[in-house]
Amino acid sequence: MTTYHPTSGGEPVLVLRLAGVLQSWGDRSAFNRRETRPEPTKSGVIGLLAAAAGLPREADLTDLLGLRLGIRVDQAGTLLRDYHTVSDYRGRPLPQTGVSAKGVQKLTSPAKDTHVTHRFYLQDAVFLAAISGPRPLIEGLADAVLRPAFPLALGRRSCVPSQPIALGGLREGTLLDVLATEPWQAGEAHRDAYWRTAKRTNTRADHVDLSATIDDDNGDDVAHDVPLSFAPRERRFTSRRIRHTWLSVPTGFPAPDDATAAPAHDPFALLGW
Amino acid sequence: MPRRLYIDVHVLQTVPPANLNRDDNGNPKEADFGGSRRSRVSSQAWKRATRMHFAERQDKEDLGTRTKRIAGELTKKLISRAKADGNAMEVEAAQRIAGALLEPMGIAAGRKAGDTAYLLFFGRRQLDTIVDLVAADILELAALDDDGLKKAVEGRGAQDKLRQGHPADVALFGRMVADIPALNVDAATQVAHAISTHAAELEFDYYTAVDDENAADETGAGMIGTIGFNSATLYRYATVGLHQLLENLTTHDKAVDAVNLFVDSFARSMPTGYGNSFAHRTRPSLVAVVVRADQPVNLVSAFEKPVPVTDGIVAESARRLAGEYTTATRQWGDTPVHVAVSHAFADGTDEARDLAAAFGPNISFPDLLTGLKSSLADRVGDLS
Repeated sequence: MTTYHPTSGGEPVLVLRLAGVLQSWGDRSAFNRRETRPEPTKSGVIGLLAAAAGLPREADLTDLLGLRLGIRVDQAGTLLRDYHTVSDYRGRPLPQTGVSAKGVQKLTSPAKDTHVTHRFYLQDAVFLAAISGPRPLIEGLADAVLRPAFPLALGRRSCVPSQPIALGGLREGTLLDVLATEPWQAGEAHRDAYWRTAKRTNTRADHVDLSATIDDDNGDDVAHDVPLSFAPRERRFTSRRIRHTWLSVPTGFPAPDDATAAPAHDPFALLGW
Repeated sequence: MPRRLYIDVHVLQTVPPANLNRDDNGNPKEADFGGSRRSRVSSQAWKRATRMHFAERQDKEDLGTRTKRIAGELTKKLISRAKADGNAMEVEAAQRIAGALLEPMGIAAGRKAGDTAYLLFFGRRQLDTIVDLVAADILELAALDDDGLKKAVEGRGAQDKLRQGHPADVALFGRMVADIPALNVDAATQVAHAISTHAAELEFDYYTAVDDENAADETGAGMIGTIGFNSATLYRYATVGLHQLLENLTTHDKAVDAVNLFVDSFARSMPTGYGNSFAHRTRPSLVAVVVRADQPVNLVSAFEKPVPVTDGIVAESARRLAGEYTTATRQWGDTPVHVAVSHAFADGTDEARDLAAAFGPNISFPDLLTGLKSSLADRVGDLS
């Protein structure tokens, strides 16, 4: 396998806007505490694409695992803890893990009627995911996202994405170039706040610095979120090398008009720097 | 290209002071959206209410039954089928055949004859289709020894029968059997968390309770406490993949009926949390159904900018929903295959006009269901 560097382009890039009221991107959560990563995981994005393409859980993921992923954080959102209870609707105690001599699952003793789980979500977040790969595969996935076989979800089934998910058409160029040039996708309240802050502090509002995480074989960090199989009994993950970076992204707000804008305060100008 | 059909259900529903779905502090659940705090009812809470409403109205034969006695039930059905065909069948022989049919699925037998080790959801009709597999040569099978019997039924696909023709509620809401993943069913519905279209404040009801038997010398309250509550106009959204439901249910009629009963149950049901304290039972102000051949479309972005709480929240929410739908349809150039709306806004109002422009004329909810049913019945044949 050739080493991959995010600045080497040549493959088409599919751009998805991942936004909704709630999202949840777990990597290794199990049992009764379901956590979320602060940004979409590779398994989550591949799972979304696999659902769009109608792949069953047992499907071979080899093709999809070759895809390269970049995530841009357009609106970070905040963490929401959801208290969730499980009980038997017939009012019986919940079963325990052990079985009796008869091989029947025993009921909890003392009787436990409610099982508590904590589910974590990201609320009010917006991400941009850029996915590159071989042209026929990417074209097929781009079409699948517009006509998904299974309803798409942002990491968990109840996290319904808001529209539009696909930003229309494929992009050319490297993952980094694409992520740096796509317009900022934050919601109106977020954009207004940015504009007001820029006005108040007399800074430029035409660009915003957004953090991004990108597949990079020479990256200095590791994410353990590459799915080898989604089959219920064989859920396995492996890791990928990633790189964190910051991108200066166009906001759509006007650049300061040089003639009328107040000069920015530049203390170093006096020193001739 | 594979054919798909999604049924999107959009509901606007106003709930008076209530606490439908609470967190571990006893307060109504909330979430941030569009930079402001919203009231939230989890998808799980509303799905449970929907499911119970659904179960009460569904034909029992089409509901899942949760039992340990799948082998016992199958044994009984084998005997009665043999009898109907004029053959006498020993209980023991029928048990052996039932056991051989179920064994490849890894449904472990319980200690008591005919029991499985755990409760299993299955459809009553599914068992009949398994009986069909062996009915023709049941006596020949009964005469075989264990190994011969095992080989003889192996290729007949009893496992496939349990994987198809699921009971309607399992087909819609899914099933998970942790140790036999082959029997898992992926739900054909997706339900979003309901959120308020406007910013909602959490409030507290401070209450005191008087002790009726209290002597005159002690005048304080017998008990004091608080209940968290809010009131909200909620946007609720769910979608059903008819193509997926069809795969789970196998027959066209059943799939269309299940969608209709789901839409009915989703619209009419309500979580019961603190029901006696707040009597919050309301009905939706608006139900819109949109049948799409491309993808499900959630219109929640209509409310990303919160509706101002000063001027008629429901009416403004309805105008926003109509606007979002129209814009989304125009921008993406796609025409849904069927659209209908049922709402409670008076004729001649701005919101009634906007809704009519987006979703068509206002019709009664039963008419909406009937129209949906006939629209789906016309198209379901193209899906498989």
